[in-house]
Amino acid sequence: MAARRTEEDRRNEDFRGMLARMEREGHLRRVSKTISPRHITALCGQAPSAILCEAVEDYDIPVVGGLYWTRDRLASALDWPVAELGSRFATAVARPLSPVLVNDAPCQEVVSTGDDVDLTTLPIPFMHEKDGGPYISGGVAFADDPELGPNAGCYRLMFRTRREMAMDLFTASDLRRYYTRTYERKQLLPVAIAIGVHAFEHMAAAYKAPAGLNEMEIAGGLRGEPAHLVRAKTVDVMVPANAEIVLEGELLPNGWTADEGPFGEFAGMQGDLKHNPLFRVGAITHRRNPIFYALQMPWENDWLNGPATEAACRRVLGLAGIQVAGVRATEGGCCGWSVVAAIKKRAGEGRNALAALLSLPVVKQAIVTDDDIDIYNPDEVEWAVTFRCQADKDIIILSGMKGKHVDPSVRPWDLKPGELPTTAKFGIDATIPEGIPAFRYERIVPAFRSEVRLEDYL
Amino acid sequence: MSASDQADPALVKRIEECLRQPTYFRDILDATRDQKYRAVLLAWSDVRTRHALERDEHGRYWRPKQA
Repeated sequence: MAARRTEEDRRNEDFRGMLARMEREGHLRRVSKTISPRHITALCGQAPSAILCEAVEDYDIPVVGGLYWTRDRLASALDWPVAELGSRFATAVARPLSPVLVNDAPCQEVVSTGDDVDLTTLPIPFMHEKDGGPYISGGVAFADDPELGPNAGCYRLMFRTRREMAMDLFTASDLRRYYTRTYERKQLLPVAIAIGVHAFEHMAAAYKAPAGLNEMEIAGGLRGEPAHLVRAKTVDVMVPANAEIVLEGELLPNGWTADEGPFGEFAGMQGDLKHNPLFRVGAITHRRNPIFYALQMPWENDWLNGPATEAACRRVLGLAGIQVAGVRATEGGCCGWSVVAAIKKRAGEGRNALAALLSLPVVKQAIVTDDDIDIYNPDEVEWAVTFRCQADKDIIILSGMKGKHVDPSVRPWDLKPGELPTTAKFGIDATIPEGIPAFRYERIVPAFRSEVRLEDYL
Repeated sequence: MSASDQADPALVKRIEECLRQPTYFRDILDATRDQKYRAVLLAWSDVRTRHALERDEHGRYWRPKQA
C-alpha cells in the first residue's frame, strides 16, 4: 500500500515536490543568507548543487536555480537512472498521454489583475554581464490556435516595464508560427508563461514535438500520468495546474521591432541584440508562497534537450539497423552538437552509424565506439579514439550540411538576410577496425582482483 | 512590497544621466548599487516608458539627444 502511494506521489509530483526530493538526494541546497537578484546566477555557477535562495533581497519570493545543470541533476529531477535518460525519453515520446483539465488549481491560489499587475514584484534576476536586462529564463510559454491546436515551448523574456517584456521569437518555432498568423491579421495572441513547472512538463515543452502532437501529451508520456492543466484566468490558454507562477497576457502585433537581448545563449556564448515581439502582461497568478525558477544558461537549457537528442540518435541508429548499446550527448557539445555512441558492431557499421548520427541537424561531431567502452568515461572514449582509429581511414568529414547561426565558425555575419548557414561535420569511427582481432585489445587485469577489497586496506 | 509602489524620481534621473552615453544594463545596476534591486527595476520601467532608447550592436543603451 505504502509502495503504491509512493509511486502515485511520484507520478503526481509537482515542482516543489521535485525540489524536496532533489534536496533529499543531495542535488539541491538551501541558501538562507540574503542574496541580491544581481548575484544569483554567479552563485549558481559556483555551487556544487542546485540552490534554493530562501532570502532574496527586497522580495518575499525565493529563487531556485541550477536544477538541470548536470546530467546527474537532471536525472535526479526526473527520478530516472542517469544512463537511461535517452532511452526513457524515447519510450515516453512513443506513449503520449492526453492532459486532464482541472477546475481548481494551485497556480491560481492568488490572482492579480488590472493595476495590481507589476512584474517588478517578481525577483527576475539579472544573469550575465552583457545581458540587455533581467530575464525570465525558465518560463514555459503556452498558446493555442484554432487550427494548429495547443502549444508549449521555451522562450526567454526580457524585462522592459512593469507590464511588458520582450519575447525571443527570432528563430523558427511553433509559437513564432502562431504569432505570425495573428501578427499578419494585426491581432493579439493570448499567451501564458508558466514559471516553476516540473521537469517533465519543462522537458516536454523544450522538445520539438512532431506537428499535431501537443507537448503536454509528451509530458504525460514522460510522467506516466496525464499532465494536469487548468484554463488561465484571463486568456483562453491551458497551463500546468501546479505551476508556481503564471503570467497571463498577449503578444502584441508589433512584429519584430522591440529590442531584445543580448542574452547568454544556449551555446555558452553571449548572443546578439535582436528585435522581437512584446508580451504585455494582464494578470499574474501564483501559488501561495510561490518559488521563482531562474534557469541557468547554458547547461540547464542544454540538458533539458539532451535526452531528446539521445533519443533521436537511438532512433536514426535503429533505422540504420544498428544495435545500440548506449548514446551520450556530451556537455561540451551543449548536449546535442557532439555525441558518443557505443554499438554492437558488424562490419562497416562504424561508418554507417556515423553517417546516421551526422544526418541529424543538431549533431555536428560524433564518435562511435564498440560496446566494451564506457561512453560516460571521457578517458575510455579517448583511449578508443587513440588505439582503434587511423585518422586517414576512420575519420569522415561531411561538407555543406545544414548549420546554425549561433555557431560563429559558420561566419553567420557574412550571410545575406534570410540565408541559412551550412557547416562541415565530422565523425570518428573508434570501433575496432575490420581485420584486427579483438584479442589485440585485451585489457590489463590486475592479478587476483576479486580477492582484494579497497576498504580492507584504506 | 506592492504593485502600487512608485519609481523614485531621483533614481529615474540618475539612470537617465547614465544613458547620456552608451551603457550596458549591467553598468546601470553597478551605478545604482546603493539602491534596492526592485527600486532600480521600477525606475528602469519608467525610463523605458518615457524614452525610446537607442541600442548599439553590443547591446548598450543610450538616450538620443532630443529624447
